[in-house]
Amino acid sequence: MIEDDDRIRMSLGLALEDEGYTVRSAGTAEEGLAAQRADPADTVLVDLMLPGIDGFECIRQLRRDGDVPIIVVSARDDTHDVVAALEAGADDYVIKPVAVKELSARMRALRRRARPAQASTLTLVFGELEIRPQAGEVLLHGELLSLTRTEFRLICELAEHAGLVLSRQQLLERVWEYDYGDDRLVDVHIGRLRQKIEDNPSVPSRLITVRGLGYKLQR
Amino acid sequence: MRRPGLRARVTAGFAIAAFIVSATVALLSYQLTENYLLGERERSALRATAIEAGIVKAGLAGSNPDIGAVLKALDTGGKRRAVIYRDGTWYGRNADFGIKSTIPANLQAMVSSGQAGAQRIRTDTGPALAIGVPLDDSTSFYVIDVMQELDRSLQVLALIITLVAAATTAAGAALGWYAARYVVRPLTNVVAAADNISAGDLTARLDPSAEPDLARLAASFNKMVDELSARVQRDRRFAADVSHELRSPLQTLSAATSVLTRRAAGMDAKAAAAAHLVAGEVQRFEDLVTDLLELSRSDQPASLEPVDIAALTRSVCRTRGVDTAKVQAPPDDVVWRVDRRRFQQILANLIDNAEAHGGGLHAITIRETSQGRYLDIDDDGPGVSPPDRAIIFDRFVRGRAAGARGDGDGAGLGLAIVHQHVTAHGGTITVTDRPGGGARFTIALPTEPT
Repeated sequence: MIEDDDRIRMSLGLALEDEGYTVRSAGTAEEGLAAQRADPADTVLVDLMLPGIDGFECIRQLRRDGDVPIIVVSARDDTHDVVAALEAGADDYVIKPVAVKELSARMRALRRRARPAQASTLTLVFGELEIRPQAGEVLLHGELLSLTRTEFRLICELAEHAGLVLSRQQLLERVWEYDYGDDRLVDVHIGRLRQKIEDNPSVPSRLITVRGLGYKLQR
Repeated sequence: MRRPGLRARVTAGFAIAAFIVSATVALLSYQLTENYLLGERERSALRATAIEAGIVKAGLAGSNPDIGAVLKALDTGGKRRAVIYRDGTWYGRNADFGIKSTIPANLQAMVSSGQAGAQRIRTDTGPALAIGVPLDDSTSFYVIDVMQELDRSLQVLALIITLVAAATTAAGAALGWYAARYVVRPLTNVVAAADNISAGDLTARLDPSAEPDLARLAASFNKMVDELSARVQRDRRFAADVSHELRSPLQTLSAATSVLTRRAAGMDAKAAAAAHLVAGEVQRFEDLVTDLLELSRSDQPASLEPVDIAALTRSVCRTRGVDTAKVQAPPDDVVWRVDRRRFQQILANLIDNAEAHGGGLHAITIRETSQGRYLDIDDDGPGVSPPDRAIIFDRFVRGRAAGARGDGDGAGLGLAIVHQHVTAHGGTITVTDRPGGGARFTIALPTEPT
């Protein structure tokens, strides 16, 4: 947990330990990044307003190092901040004050995202794009792509229903396990996925937006 | 009585002024023309009569003249009739004989006393001039000159002048109407700006250079809106800042409280009760801060997108633990362009309100008509009394059932948020009695422009 407010760090740490987690915390991004490199945690919680390196940059550096699940825990809730944090590479975003049970549920959902619910043993092929759900691999033009868990789960969900439109709501339920949540999560992750699987991300040919309905992966 | 509008008054003013001017000009010109024409006519009639009098006098010069023959010799034409009065007897052509009765007595008296005279009279065939000339002590010569054609000319003139006056009045009214419209037109910009501002768009301003005559109005209007806008911004920022600053301590409280309540079973009874109280109040505090932040944001314009309303309503019902069978929607897909997040909040708050204060949710009905799009949220409670209907959407108004501030009651912001969100969609929300008891909250959204 990277959080500069001592009291929050302490209370949230205690509460998460009650939920069965082992919590290590840092008061600055520098400290947190160093700790993550030395002894990687399974999930990183990060605040946005940090002294020195801010939360956005911290997320970008964590992402450069690997695909560790990242949840933003911030008091800032304007669209600009939410989108910027998700674009930097965060998997989920919760707004303070968040109930510990809710935060815990988000962390569990994120850990489950490592594998699709019913992983197909088959390789799904869409032209130059190859998806191997069981192996957790996605290849484009025969090269392995590095996707985060959320991106991987998202593309598996779309691939299993290739040719069909999935609404943002359906994707939120299936990938993030939200009953009802924030569409921005879906939109930003779709954007990030396009950066990786589209030849020209601004003119997508594989992952299509169906206006007013949702997204679909072209067969 | 309602005062007539500015445009009606300006139009009437122009019409009345045009009428007065044109009527005066018409009357004056008629009078002048009539006098001039009649004067001319009189002069020529008098000249002709003087000549005829000379002829008659010469004809009567002999002894025992034939008066009838003298009169017949006069070439008077059809419009002039001549008669002679001599020694108490009238003489005239048979056809003209009757006219002697039309000669006024005072003219006769004047002529008898030896003075020539003329007088305007009316005859059966129209206005005429009676002219009398004394020929000698016992003889008078009279001519009745009928001015029928002159009278007709004057009638035509009067008609033309009246028509011109009427046309001038109408033109005045039209000019007034146009001028009023022209003058009022810049004010429509003011109206549009004021409408935008009351709809929540505080960026609406008037262009002071657009209409130099209204520059002062535009300047004062803009100044007023600037001040209003600054004040609204200040209030909103204050609410947002306060709520925001409260979030971090609330996070600490929330997490610490969960640690406490988890151990409540191991505490003594008093400590456990206290921990429970703290947990409840922290939750209420959290809800209040969330609601305040929602309100401080909610006058921003809605970001509209197509949303399947029935699906959204059912999904909100699920999160509220309400049976989705209570949602009644048309069989076809109902897709409305709404702000999804705010509409979720609207539905959640109304369902919570029905569950907390309305004896439970009865039904939610989605309707579409040619007039608009409607959503009815019915409950099984006692309904909302008419005095409460006026204030129920105000901030910090709490449900009657929660007068004692029961456990888990909100701060009275839920319906205020609903009201602001519905308004941001250009819609209205009203509360009425549901047929069969209970309250009915109806959201009405305008039909979409296609």
